[in-house]
Amino acid sequence: MNNEGKFGLIETISIVTIVIVSKILFTSESVVVDFVGTAAWYMTLLSCFTSIIFFLILYILMKRFPGKNLIEIFQLVTGKIVGKLLGFLFALYFLYYAGSNLREFIEMIKAYSYPYTATSLFLVTFIIVTLLLSYKGLENIARISYITLIIFIIGISTILLLALPNANFLYLRPYLGYGVKSTLYYGLLRSSSYDEIIILALIIKSVHGLKNFKIAGLISLGIAGLVSSISLVIYLAIFQHDMGAENLSGMFQISRTIYFNIYFQRLESIFLFTWVITSLVTVSIGFYVSISTYCKTFNIADHRPLLLPFSFLMYIIALKPKDISEIIYTNMAIVREYSGMLLYLVPTLVLIIAFITNKRGVVNNEEKA
Amino acid sequence: MKRKLSLLIILLILFSLFSGCKDSTEIDENVYTIVIGLDKGSNDNIVLTIQYPQFKSSSKVTSGSSSNTSVDSIETSSILSGIDEFNMAISRNVSLKHTKLIVFSEELAREGIGKYLAPLARFREARRSMFVAVSNGKAVDFINENRSSISENITKSVELMLSQAKGTSYFPFIIFHTFYKNMLSPYGETIAMYIGVNNLSGLAIGKADIPHSALETDIKPGELPRTGGVKREYVGTAVFRGDKMVGYLNPYETRYMSMITGSFEKALLTIVDKKSPGDVIPLDVRLGRKPKISGFFNKGTPIINIKLNMEADIGAIQSRINYEDPGMIEDLNNQIKTYLETEIKKMLTKTQEEFKSDVFEFGTIFAAYFGTIQEFEGYDWLKHYPDAKINLDLTVSIRRTGLIIHSFPVLGTPKTK
Repeated sequence: MNNEGKFGLIETISIVTIVIVSKILFTSESVVVDFVGTAAWYMTLLSCFTSIIFFLILYILMKRFPGKNLIEIFQLVTGKIVGKLLGFLFALYFLYYAGSNLREFIEMIKAYSYPYTATSLFLVTFIIVTLLLSYKGLENIARISYITLIIFIIGISTILLLALPNANFLYLRPYLGYGVKSTLYYGLLRSSSYDEIIILALIIKSVHGLKNFKIAGLISLGIAGLVSSISLVIYLAIFQHDMGAENLSGMFQISRTIYFNIYFQRLESIFLFTWVITSLVTVSIGFYVSISTYCKTFNIADHRPLLLPFSFLMYIIALKPKDISEIIYTNMAIVREYSGMLLYLVPTLVLIIAFITNKRGVVNNEEKA
Repeated sequence: MKRKLSLLIILLILFSLFSGCKDSTEIDENVYTIVIGLDKGSNDNIVLTIQYPQFKSSSKVTSGSSSNTSVDSIETSSILSGIDEFNMAISRNVSLKHTKLIVFSEELAREGIGKYLAPLARFREARRSMFVAVSNGKAVDFINENRSSISENITKSVELMLSQAKGTSYFPFIIFHTFYKNMLSPYGETIAMYIGVNNLSGLAIGKADIPHSALETDIKPGELPRTGGVKREYVGTAVFRGDKMVGYLNPYETRYMSMITGSFEKALLTIVDKKSPGDVIPLDVRLGRKPKISGFFNKGTPIINIKLNMEADIGAIQSRINYEDPGMIEDLNNQIKTYLETEIKKMLTKTQEEFKSDVFEFGTIFAAYFGTIQEFEGYDWLKHYPDAKINLDLTVSIRRTGLIIHSFPVLGTPKTK
């Protein structure tokens, strides 16, 4: 694949952070509260911690093969055929990720704001913007992610701060939620909610080397864990664990409860703006990473001819679930609970194989510099 | 380049045409309800009443009050179907997007309102910042009397009336979010505003014989001795157990409740002057600091300790006794303390013995003694609340004495003890 361009540390952090934290705007918070109750806020920290461990394993793998992206490493360690198969699986997963996120967003915007507008209209308009972003390439997406992250942080902070008068932090009791066992189980399972960190290993050639890769990964996971945890603390303090498990979108409901005074209320427009922009960028990143991975797997130089076919596939994936329950309990369960088996365990296995077979990359002068 | 540009222009035009698509509506295609009310209907039905503003100038309806709203009622099986059925009679689509208040009749509230709230929690148009009230008569009667005597803007009138809750604490500030959350809560029970219609015949000037010792009488909505432009009034708190109303707290008890929950902002409290029983002392009271509530189990019995710190400014001293004097101010502090202690304890006892309803959410304190949600819910705090022993530690401090620092007796009046 052609050079995807290079960008700085902040843009790198922005890309990964925005895709990880965007899920707090969707059904994720309610689902987590449903699973572990009042322990949700530290369960997500456990998931984050687990992800940091896997990221460090990934770092060891990337360090062993300097200058290579993850797909190239797969092919070097497992051979061309298995390597290509793994690369293809990764590309397929990210397409599924983008399509599922897109449909989740559309279902929620239909539930809250536009119930009678055709799903296909949302899909088409969203996909057109995604195509435009992806057409311009990764560097363009990185710059937009940086701006989006700022919008996201301002938007979410505003909503959470304004909702604080409705919060009672004593609702975080009993502290163990539905029990330690359940918290540990879902904490490990939901580490998949942070596995988008793998994107860094796929675009490593654009991020100015291994040092930036490591710093960006750790900072992104740290920010994402902190933001998720804080938002869950406030969410639980506003809704308790019973009602907290009911809501379709926790953050949207928080924005709808804000009543500061008669002149300062109905602030969901802040949420809507943040939500739409963040979702757009998240889907675009997932979509681009899918095409990029595919190109890297099959040595395709230019990603642009693939934009239309991939967008058609994403359209089909997004249309596939027949109802919102299927999206939440099948699609998003795969993305946020089980995807780690692919994105975390495969690189770990590849690292083990690399150790056993004593395979490692060659450091050239450019990479040393 | 030209092709790209024209494609972009076409796309931009298309996007502007798509905006809103099927969900777009013009403002005057809808009527926006301000208040919705629910009464018991025949069989299992309900009578749904809506009040919405008219798009025309106001008409004088009763002396002193104006109305530029319409009130429509329909018998229906549920709120949402009722809203839909209204569209057979009202020429514009009925929208709940701007609903400020939902009113349940007491008859319905005492039977349980959970099944009527769930659809509202699910429905996108209903806002969780709307207020919840129980009318001690029929909801439709309240809505018919929901007028403004000050301006033509009924929406603003409703909003401002509801915000009075914060200024006086005579009725609670309860939005749908809080009401619904507490109805599902294992930590405490829910409450609503208690409202009603006053026929304005209770004021007997010159005949009223209310002794000062009973200043804070047990009044309900409709019983406020007053005349005025509007008949509707907000008086006290409707107390629930689960989704059923079990009783009410009068406006004074409502104040004491909000002192404990920490939502009390300020109020004028009037006490009888112990040194001059025919006179009263109005005081401007507020919370000195947020109440500190702790709890523990003693041989299985929940013990609740409430530390309440109140501050007050003297509003008036009818007896003109020099309570401002450093030697006397402590005496007044004690008078206020004794009065508040007695009244707060009476109110607490009422919630424990009569209502068996923890409207203070003391359950949040005891939840810390349980490891998991299953253990806490298994213990069932709401069932154990009536058994709790509640200790009140009240401190009262008069901070300011108004614009007078020394009261002198009026010459010629008999000296008080």
